[in-house]
Amino acid sequence: MGRRRSRVEGAARALPEAVAALSRSLPAGPSPEIFRRAKFDRPEAAPVLWQLLLRVLSPLAANNTWTDLAPEAQARVVKSALGSRGYPRSVLLQFPDGSSQGSRELLLALSWLLAQGPLLEQLLAQTRVQVGDQLPQCEALTSPGPLACLVATKSPVDLRLVEWLMGKLRFRWRCLILSQREQCTLLSKIHLYTQGCHSQQSLGHLSVAETEMLRDPESSQQLLHALESENARLEAALEWRRCELVFWQWMDTVLDACSPETPAVTSQPTALPMISEGGLGELESVRQELLALQEELREVAEPRRAAWESRVGGLGQGPEWSNSRKALREVVERELADLQGSWKLCSTPAQPQRPHRLVRSKDGAPRRQGLQAAEVIRTLSAKEDCLKKALHQLQCQCQQELARLAGTLPGLIWVLPPGH
Amino acid sequence: MSIVTVQLGQCGNQIGFEVFDTLFRDSHCSQGLCSKRENEAYQASCKERFFREEENGVPVARAVLIDMEPKVINQTLSKAAQSGRWKYGQHTSFCQKQGSGNNWAYGYSVHGPKHEESIMNLIQTEVEKCDSLSGFFIIMSMAGGTGSGLGAFITQKLQDQYSSSLKMNQIIWPYGTGEVIVQNYNSILTLSHLYRSSDALLIHENDVVHKICAKRMNIKQISFRDLNRVLAHQLGSVFQPTHSEDSSFHYCRNPLVSGIVGPGLPHATNVCLVALYRRPMFLSTNGDLMEHLVPHPEFKMLGVRNIPQMSAESLAYSTFTWAGLLKHLRQMLISRAKMEEGIDWQVRPPLSGLPPIGKASAHKEPHFNTSLANLVILRGREVHSADVGGFRDAALYTSWLEPADAFSVWKTPRPFDKYEKSAALVSNSQLLVKPLDMVVGKAWNMFSSKAYIHQYTKFGMEEEDFLDSFTLLEQVVASYGSL
Repeated sequence: MGRRRSRVEGAARALPEAVAALSRSLPAGPSPEIFRRAKFDRPEAAPVLWQLLLRVLSPLAANNTWTDLAPEAQARVVKSALGSRGYPRSVLLQFPDGSSQGSRELLLALSWLLAQGPLLEQLLAQTRVQVGDQLPQCEALTSPGPLACLVATKSPVDLRLVEWLMGKLRFRWRCLILSQREQCTLLSKIHLYTQGCHSQQSLGHLSVAETEMLRDPESSQQLLHALESENARLEAALEWRRCELVFWQWMDTVLDACSPETPAVTSQPTALPMISEGGLGELESVRQELLALQEELREVAEPRRAAWESRVGGLGQGPEWSNSRKALREVVERELADLQGSWKLCSTPAQPQRPHRLVRSKDGAPRRQGLQAAEVIRTLSAKEDCLKKALHQLQCQCQQELARLAGTLPGLIWVLPPGH
Repeated sequence: MSIVTVQLGQCGNQIGFEVFDTLFRDSHCSQGLCSKRENEAYQASCKERFFREEENGVPVARAVLIDMEPKVINQTLSKAAQSGRWKYGQHTSFCQKQGSGNNWAYGYSVHGPKHEESIMNLIQTEVEKCDSLSGFFIIMSMAGGTGSGLGAFITQKLQDQYSSSLKMNQIIWPYGTGEVIVQNYNSILTLSHLYRSSDALLIHENDVVHKICAKRMNIKQISFRDLNRVLAHQLGSVFQPTHSEDSSFHYCRNPLVSGIVGPGLPHATNVCLVALYRRPMFLSTNGDLMEHLVPHPEFKMLGVRNIPQMSAESLAYSTFTWAGLLKHLRQMLISRAKMEEGIDWQVRPPLSGLPPIGKASAHKEPHFNTSLANLVILRGREVHSADVGGFRDAALYTSWLEPADAFSVWKTPRPFDKYEKSAALVSNSQLLVKPLDMVVGKAWNMFSSKAYIHQYTKFGMEEEDFLDSFTLLEQVVASYGSL
């Protein structure tokens, strides 16, 4: 009896500890009390959890650009991000934007994200305090943008406006390249000027943050503060790992508390792209067209195949035939290997998996551990080639399509726009 | 962000000198009309863009001088050295013994390939002296041989070698009456080639600048130097630093650095770099100018209008209000006036609120100038009280652009070049369609009778090249015409 009570008490203490550890390890983590209230679906917990989900789901939210958003907009961002990650419960997605109901559903969503994968680790990595200069990661370019909202316009858009906007984008892209280049130049200067200043022999020079610390003692206080709070979050994360089991057991009771008429898992498709009425009609017409094309293709292909087979039937023998077959097979195999090679390069970018410190080493210095710039450049240029090929292919397709369209309009002269 | 200026030919070198001299004089005159801190930030920002520091402390223009004859280059170098305020760098000029004889083909096909390596090396050396290169400003005439032919060649090479840097060509449009018999050929060849390789063509018409000298500056015997000074004033009023658009008190060196790079590069790096190199945070790339005005590849022609413009004697007895200046500038824009004198006040924008067809060109007044995009730059006292609402009228712009996309304004309380208040307008509009159409027409008349074609074909050009140029420019005329 006594032993049982102490076990219950132990569990009762363990849960708040686990929740507190989780809170402390999350960015701007709420008080553990919020979690308890959310279990009972209390409305006052909802705004805090919307905010938290926004922070967790969108890395951009860290620079406070999104926290200024209206609650409705925040809710929309959270929902679309959850939807694109395949969140299975439709109850949350159906809440009206900006409502304060459903804090329990929000808690479930947060737990689902935690259970899905290394969320906590990713968040910690995002807000890591950086002392050394980092190799820029290209994640931002590869991660799918959950925000790409389609603006359905009914009225036709002037092509010149599209070209205008495209041109603007091009200029911004060029400015971005120029400012990246500027940063590289300045970084390189700092590395050169501080050569030999670092206490650690293997590094040789100071990073920007270290140089700044020397110039401005105030900033080292700030850095210290940031490091301390990061340490606290790391410790909390370790603590959470130790006792998360209790949390999950508790989450089971939260799940049980959900009203039975709400199916736990719905059969809804995970991501629901918006299809307007017009879109459905279009889809139908496209389907019809596709069927007609298939039929047409069959009609064209069958007699050809028959003719071809009858022609081939006469050949198929002799050393010449087998030689040419062999050559053909080799060509096909080579092409296939090329394709597979390029696919591999595209699909497994040998991007540095963890952050690396940028260090300039002297010419002729012995090769150190770590990633060499040459390797990264090689990988990146292989990837660039790959993307260029894909772009070229798409451009060719577009040109063919344009040529086809132009061909259907007799008397039309196609003048390509000047410029790039 | 710095700009490397490439001065080409006699005209490019003479104007280049006046531009640097104007920029330097303006940024170093102590006017007492704005705060000391403001003035220092302005000066430093101007310097970062156009000058670099040399060991003995005399600022050096970030420029490369190119001509095929030594005379003008030598004059330019010594004039700068004599000024004692700034100078050109050592080993930044390239010249030869023999000019291009006003033959575009000679500059483009003979001088260009022959001296490509030396010239591009000179430019690269200058580029390497910039911490950050924003782009190139290429000054040349359009009618002669060296500036126009070699200029087109060099611009193309710059596009190949520095594809992400911005390129703006300052082009001098010849007098309509003409100094050179084949100037219309040279002009269409220059324009069509630059349309392919440059990002923006900033055009000054000799006729217009001449009129400004005669009517506004009261100059009796107008010399090239007078023309070039007016021109340099106009360019300076565009290129000198201004505050960023959105927040008038927030100095921003390049909003792209803090805004977009953020997620890609560690934030701390940005902050520290900016802190470590505490430099004036003026908006300083001309990338913004281009992004606002010339993003569309078919519309690259920019015209500049200034107000007020007058001789120093008259200036002493004049006062201006922002409302008056902007009212005149707006009317200059919509009535295609070249200067503040002789403005046609009858021209009105088409009534807005009509159905879209009402904006079609048939319903417009024949003299109304439709804009694609405009940039207004205001400098001087009480600039923050200036109201530019008149430029935000949708009736001024083509139907497919919103005024919010088509109009922008830059301001600074720092006065420019002794004018207590001044306004400049950079406009991508139909201002230049008429002159362009005339040049193309005249060139076509000569071409159809095959006049002087052999002068060009003997240096490797083909008639096909002319035809390509005509096609491209006809298209440009048509595009601007249908705004």
